[in-house]
Amino acid sequence: MTKVLEVRELSAGYGPLRVLHDIDLAVEAGERVGLVGLNGHGKTTLLRSIMGMVDWRRGVIELDGKSILKTPAYRLARGGVALIPQGDSLFPGLSVKDNLDSGAFATGWRQRKQRRDRVLKLFPRLAERLGQAAGTLSGGERRMCSLGRGLMSEARVYLIDEPSLGLAPGIAAGLYATLRGLDLRGGTLVLAEQNQALLEGWIDRIVKVHGGQIVGIIPGDGQADGRTAEGNGQELVE
Amino acid sequence: MTDVVTTINLAAIYGLIGVGISLTWAGLGFLNLAHGVTFAAAGYGAWWAQENINGHPSVIFLGGIITGAVAGAIICASVFLPLDGKINWPFRSMVASLGLAIIGVNVYLLVFGPSRKSIDFLFGTTKFKVGDTTITADKSGAVISATVVMILLVIGLMKSRIGLGVRALTQNPEGAALVGIGRKQAAFAILMTSGALVGFAAVLLSQTFYPEPNIGYLPLVKGLIVALLGGLGSVLGTVIAALLVAGTEAVTIHYLDASWVLLTQFALIAIVLLVRPRGVAGVLEASRA
Repeated sequence: MTKVLEVRELSAGYGPLRVLHDIDLAVEAGERVGLVGLNGHGKTTLLRSIMGMVDWRRGVIELDGKSILKTPAYRLARGGVALIPQGDSLFPGLSVKDNLDSGAFATGWRQRKQRRDRVLKLFPRLAERLGQAAGTLSGGERRMCSLGRGLMSEARVYLIDEPSLGLAPGIAAGLYATLRGLDLRGGTLVLAEQNQALLEGWIDRIVKVHGGQIVGIIPGDGQADGRTAEGNGQELVE
Repeated sequence: MTDVVTTINLAAIYGLIGVGISLTWAGLGFLNLAHGVTFAAAGYGAWWAQENINGHPSVIFLGGIITGAVAGAIICASVFLPLDGKINWPFRSMVASLGLAIIGVNVYLLVFGPSRKSIDFLFGTTKFKVGDTTITADKSGAVISATVVMILLVIGLMKSRIGLGVRALTQNPEGAALVGIGRKQAAFAILMTSGALVGFAAVLLSQTFYPEPNIGYLPLVKGLIVALLGGLGSVLGTVIAALLVAGTEAVTIHYLDASWVLLTQFALIAIVLLVRPRGVAGVLEASRA
């Protein structure tokens, strides 16, 4: 397997606040990796750091072996990295159709339509709301629209940040059922989530994030492999 | 009836000026105070095309539109891009655009001198009557062509890929970056379109506002009033605001005097923004809710 995404000794933060402390993480092509940890411990910052959407970052971030430290987010998006952020980051005044289409911004209209049809099969509820402004959708529908927009890009690397956040348990479970069945077409997935149970059984590897560091790695079958993240010396937590 | 004709005529042109300011602010967070010198540049461009290429109206219009778009690109490259993202950049870029406006006026003085330039009637000199009111070809031509351009703008925003990018950027800049919309390219698209629109307006107004170095100041003020009143970023809001501003102007001139126009227009802004801080767009949103 080839590494598609790799971060080494990554530190990042906002203003004077250092959130990440020397993170090392390598993700292989086609792999599904879950980032698990409590709120405020760096999962979101790690994903945003990869996209260059933090105040500062230090270390190495490589995509296909090439540094992307100086690559702006929009170029990464065009280059096949899709961040589906926490909340949703939709365009509230634009219709659901426009929001979805924006996910395939760099493609032609024919390709865009094919991708939209595929996304609408995954989220039939959105098909009923195509002409509606995204800002008027319910929380669950907004999350579907956000995921749909990300999937429209047919990216090589998906970075999905807590899709269940703020959703009722039933809706979150439904959303995860869709995520589990997703055909990423060889794409790689890095998924941040607080609730580890939602990831077990279908994710290849669970990476535990605590205090801005990687403190443990668990294979997807739920059995800890006993490894600890290099440099922090901590045993697996939780 | 004359007031109605004047209102529609002015509204069509103010709309063209205001929508550029509105989209630039909403899409880029940049208050472009060099929009007025773009207006003047376009007037000179139209005059230059008339004198040096051909006096055909299409050449004159193209001269104005192209000069406006080029001026927009210059503003983007010299003011917006160097400051974008730097500390306190919204304020710094606004001040820099004001500086560029002052430089522009002085360059026009040096190159063209202080005298006004004359541009031919673009829609002929025929007149026709509706009831007791005489309507000139110039006014009707301005209204029809400005309306067509606004409709084309809306179609472009709604149907084209660039239009989707601009609308996305006005809604959520971070979300736009996440789907691959580059701020730099969008900035050029927005500022060049704004420049082309104000260039078109400059040609339409060339019988009232003859090209001269300081000619851009009043259109800039009108454009700002319309953009603020319309609710920054809303094309429909801008069109309605342009009608309100032009109507206020026509009624003020009819019942009071032209010197009262800016006073009544600013009073209108104050009242609308006190009730609806998002301007006309806020009223539209409330009516849809």
